Amino acid sequence: MMNLNAITVQFGGLTALKGVSLSIGAEEVVGLVGPNGAGKTTLFNVISGLVRPTGGAASFNGANVLTTPMYKRARMGIGRTFQIPQPMHELTVRQNLLVAQRFGTGSVNLAKIDEILAFLHLTDKADRDAAQDLSLSELKALEVGKALATAPKLLLLDEVLAGLETTSKRAFMKTLIELHRVYRISILIIEHDIETISTLCPRVCVLNYGQLIADGTPQEVFSNAEVIKSYTGGGHD
Amino acid sequence: MKLRILLPILVVLYGLVPFLFGGNNYIMSILVASLTIAGIALAWALLGNLGGMVSFGHAAFFGVGAYISALLTMKLGVPIFWAMLAGGVGSAIASIAILPALRLSGPYFALAILAYAHIFRVLATEFSGITGGAGGLLGIPVLPTVLGYSFSSKVGGYLVIITIIVIFAFIYDRIRNSYYGFALKAMHESEDATRVVGVHSTMLKAMMLFLSAFMTGVIGAFNSHYINFLEPDYAFNSGWTMLPVVAAIFGGYRTLTGPLVGAVVIYTVDQLFFKNYIPSGHQIILGALLGVMILFSPDGLMPLITKKLRWRRQVKASPSPSQETETI
Repeated sequence: MMNLNAITVQFGGLTALKGVSLSIGAEEVVGLVGPNGAGKTTLFNVISGLVRPTGGAASFNGANVLTTPMYKRARMGIGRTFQIPQPMHELTVRQNLLVAQRFGTGSVNLAKIDEILAFLHLTDKADRDAAQDLSLSELKALEVGKALATAPKLLLLDEVLAGLETTSKRAFMKTLIELHRVYRISILIIEHDIETISTLCPRVCVLNYGQLIADGTPQEVFSNAEVIKSYTGGGHD
Repeated sequence: MKLRILLPILVVLYGLVPFLFGGNNYIMSILVASLTIAGIALAWALLGNLGGMVSFGHAAFFGVGAYISALLTMKLGVPIFWAMLAGGVGSAIASIAILPALRLSGPYFALAILAYAHIFRVLATEFSGITGGAGGLLGIPVLPTVLGYSFSSKVGGYLVIITIIVIFAFIYDRIRNSYYGFALKAMHESEDATRVVGVHSTMLKAMMLFLSAFMTGVIGAFNSHYINFLEPDYAFNSGWTMLPVVAAIFGGYRTLTGPLVGAVVIYTVDQLFFKNYIPSGHQIILGALLGVMILFSPDGLMPLITKKLRWRRQVKASPSPSQETETI
């Protein structure tokens, strides 16, 4: 479904991604982990179209998307959330979803919006101001909701669980598992917590210094010596 | 806007105002001039509120519309109302030149469009074969007679400009309450938040720029047929930018009625009072007024009034105002 081949991203003298190749299949759930600054969010930006790679190839469902602008990718079915929630200001929660649906899919389906609101436990807050009246976990739910409203085939979740306390984190994890079961979409998720990743993802990829150093089941990846070294800071020279 | 509110407003605008002041040419001419500013202020606020762009270049759109309409009627004999529309279209086309600056934000866009506006003043002066150069154009045709009614009088001019404004306000309102309007409002804070859900934000901003330029061009065209004279220093005068900006911010540029009410209040007060007391440099009072307004109500006059009205209504409804009413 999503194929990245030898993606390289350079910001001036800094190489954020170095020849990363990654394929995500239909309905697959893949975890993306790595230390801070490893290039996880940059990879998300490449896939969603916010950053144009310096080199490499990217295709989505067979179509070359390397230089496709972000809004077009959203319409093609690549949805994403931002690490720092970006609600659409001056709009209610429902209007946020409506705008996402109207522009992401080209039409409006109110029943579908109600379904997403209920699914993410946002029904009570539907008519509240999205930027002002939501708690952090609700904002994160809204991030997922906006992406869902665009009817994505691939959903990129950037640390949607980070910063939540244990109870809401558990609840949110359940929602994510349910989301995958109901909507049958591919999910690529960035997450720091190894336990969470192991629970959610049958497959995990590890980035370190812009390079993909491991790709496999959680058991394989987290027992990999290089991965452990990258996490424990075993002297990169 | 609801019909219950809209209808009385229309009755006042089309019936009461001409009936009360129609005989007084002085008041009518001040009203028409203030409504001309109001029209530009509305177009400016549309770009600012929905496009998130601060423009210091609306004088360019005003002047281009004015010249195109004047020249079309004088040299080619195009009917005036069609020429005014063409003036608006011409301004929208002229705004294409500023499109590359759309990727700039905030003050950078404002500076780019400020420079852009000067280009047209120079063009109008230098292409003297067509525009009459610095000498200007004299004898621009007056507003026509339709069905036996001559719009060339002060009242006629008033009816034309008020109709233009009502139509523009209606268009603005429809856009504002559409999904496009929602997306445009949201772009104010974060463009990425809208692009990531499939909004072609640059295109929407460009559409708002075209529309705002079009509206300003039509107003400029109206003005040229109303005063029947044009010269580059007049048509592209920075006053056509500054007064509407002051009026829109004073009235509340993020509301529909704010720029209109702001322009009428600012202009009439300026002309009727300040100008009498301080014949030269009376604009300084406008600056002070704007400063005071921003200090006391950063959102402008109309949000202040609606807030007060709502508060009073709720005080009447319940003897003790609750905490919530204060924060609305």
